[in-house]
Amino acid sequence: MDYLDLDVRKGEILGLLGPNGSGKSTTLKMILGLVKPDSGSVNVLGINVEDDPVAVKRKVGYVPESPRVYEFLTSLEFLDFTGDIYGMKPEEKKKRVEEFLKALDLEGREGDTISSYSEGMKQKVVIISALMHRPELLLLDEPLSGLDPKSARIVKDLLRELASQDVAIIMSTHVLEIAQAICDRIAIMYEGRLLALGTMEELRRRAKMPESGLEDIFLKLTGTGDIKPVVEALLK
Amino acid sequence: MNWKNVLLLVSVDIKSYRAVTGLRFRRFRENRRVTYALYVMACLIGVLIGLAIGNFYNGVSDITLRNLLFQGATYFFISLPTLVLLYGLVFTQMNQIQRIGVKSSVEPLYWFPISWKEHTLASILANVLGATLIITIFVSSSIFVASIFFGLVPLAVLTIFALLASVVMASVTTEVFKVLQVRLSGAVTKAAGRAAIWVRLLGSILFFMVFYSIYFSLYYNVTPIALIESIAGGQKALRFIPYVWLGVALSTFISSLWLETVVFFLASFVFIYVLFLAAAHLNMRFGLYEAPSIRISRGVYVPRTGVLGRLGFSALEAAIVRKDFRAFTRRSELMYIFIFPIIFIIMPLLSAMRGGTATLPSTFSSFLFVYLTLGPGTIMAIMLGSMIVGSEGKSVWSLYASPISAKSLVKAKYSFATLFSLVVTLICSLTTGLLTAPSIQVAFIGFVEAMLLIFSLAMVSLTYGIEGAEFRELLPRPVMIRPKWSFIDMIVCIAAGLAIIAPMIPYGLNLIFQTGGFGQTTPMSLSWYYPFIEILISGAIAAIITRVFYKMAVNSAEELLLKAEE
Repeated sequence: MDYLDLDVRKGEILGLLGPNGSGKSTTLKMILGLVKPDSGSVNVLGINVEDDPVAVKRKVGYVPESPRVYEFLTSLEFLDFTGDIYGMKPEEKKKRVEEFLKALDLEGREGDTISSYSEGMKQKVVIISALMHRPELLLLDEPLSGLDPKSARIVKDLLRELASQDVAIIMSTHVLEIAQAICDRIAIMYEGRLLALGTMEELRRRAKMPESGLEDIFLKLTGTGDIKPVVEALLK
Repeated sequence: MNWKNVLLLVSVDIKSYRAVTGLRFRRFRENRRVTYALYVMACLIGVLIGLAIGNFYNGVSDITLRNLLFQGATYFFISLPTLVLLYGLVFTQMNQIQRIGVKSSVEPLYWFPISWKEHTLASILANVLGATLIITIFVSSSIFVASIFFGLVPLAVLTIFALLASVVMASVTTEVFKVLQVRLSGAVTKAAGRAAIWVRLLGSILFFMVFYSIYFSLYYNVTPIALIESIAGGQKALRFIPYVWLGVALSTFISSLWLETVVFFLASFVFIYVLFLAAAHLNMRFGLYEAPSIRISRGVYVPRTGVLGRLGFSALEAAIVRKDFRAFTRRSELMYIFIFPIIFIIMPLLSAMRGGTATLPSTFSSFLFVYLTLGPGTIMAIMLGSMIVGSEGKSVWSLYASPISAKSLVKAKYSFATLFSLVVTLICSLTTGLLTAPSIQVAFIGFVEAMLLIFSLAMVSLTYGIEGAEFRELLPRPVMIRPKWSFIDMIVCIAAGLAIIAPMIPYGLNLIFQTGGFGQTTPMSLSWYYPFIEILISGAIAAIITRVFYKMAVNSAEELLLKAEE
């Protein structure tokens, strides 16, 4: 990462965009205190991450890049464990888990070990574990990958609803349509640097492409817009 | 430290045994009573044994024997912390090794609000559960009950306290080693595949050397009383080593040196705490997810064939050989294939070398050389041959999708299995050759026979490995070949192996009788060229077997590649 300066407000959904290896996941891990910056600091909800990473984690919900969970547990056991770790009350935990399992079509499979789940189902379990304790900040690394259309829609609507309840959300994604549809602001990263940050309108102005969609703006700003010669070379 | 988090993590760790044992239930329900029953049973059996020992002691009227038994019991109590530490180390290490092959991760979910100290403590406590704790409970209950009859209750209570500390000390040590091992192995694997082989090979050799050295020194030719006395005495001599401080504390206790007792106990707890801090720090430093290990270089991709290309391999075949080489040196679940030949070498060598090589009869020397030249390489060829296709696992689609012919697939897989096994044979024969100094003729014949076995049996196993390939990557560890085909492979390999070495039987018998082996005199005399004729016959049999099974392997490979289209 190179001189990243980023503020995310309560109730805002910030989309992190960038090619592979541009530093999106690293940024999320830095916010969570998993990667230490060489210099500078990260403050989450008034807490310096380096000073008290556990306190930060308690307030944050995180969906990692790949749905890594304890696969030898059943999803019910895993979510029970998650609720206990975040200090949820038993009744609230039970209610929330039941609601989420039903909404994301996992009802009926909660007694099966997670190892028997498909990747999409595992992703749903991870999403539930990130949302169930009502975090104040959500860090989502490609949250919709592997989800079926219905579940993806539920999660998207849920994110908008959570934002309206003052939850701050930072979401990295490669799906530009999703970013354009649900993010309030978009940060475009390239080789560890923040190239641009703003609403769709601001990005259009910056790219001097007033009528364009996010895909064209993204390709122009990241300098990867000259696609035609690449395709031609591949066809040779 | 949030103890609730620690207990939650311990409970998760306990449940990870589902993955180790391969349980994969729908609607999973656990019967906790069964789990706890084991501990209760250990305690009850311990009490019964303690009662039996105590009653036996009470029934002894001879004062000399009573004194001897009393002294023996005291020494036994003192030596227990070190003994418990040793088995604690072995069991907790075995526990970790058992988990290597488990694909489901039991690593910490680093984004949860759990500190590294909590993670580390939970891992240490969870590692103690099971065999280690069951044995400790058994020992503790039996010595406590027995101590009532011996009048050694205060010492027994202190010993039980020390035993629990010993078990934790063992587990903490294992935790430190675990992190270092993962770090070293991970770092080297990322740096270079070749270096990783050496780290894992040396690591495995070291572990088994230590394990078997302890095993043999404990059980070989040593009476239990001599062992207990030597440990009790050895502790005093080794008091500069923190691991024996608990035993030293008990020694000072029976000598009524109260201050020293307190000092050594406190020093032991400080030592455990320091080890715990080291483990927590190492976990915090290295326990996170791994950094990216792949670097994309810019430029035009040109398939590399290198040395393999010069040996007549196509780019695709060379790529498969290279890929298999990396897989077998980096995938943890394939590591036991390396460990097997190592055990094969170490166990007989340690047994044979106890009296020094000079005392070995020359027949046994030659036999040992032939055994260790033929054994490990041949077993490796059979294991690699049978598993190398199944080891593709779910990624087999990349083979299906590649433009590879059946012949090329067989060639690439066969070459890898034979090359690797030949290297093992070379190392084994050189090592044992140096130790046993066989005659040049024996060395030559042994090595040639080993090559014949490797070339032919690798092909036999490859044939059945293709036929019975298991790509499903089942838990707890991918089997790579279906049991039925593994059994058939074993039977055919034994038959083929016997057929290949059969012509050498007259030579072997002659060798035994010539050197006066088994107290017999030689009934026959073979001309100098006989062994070479026998080798030729042996070679012809091996060539026929290889050829026949090559045809079968190619047919099976064709079927395998066709199946992908179904």
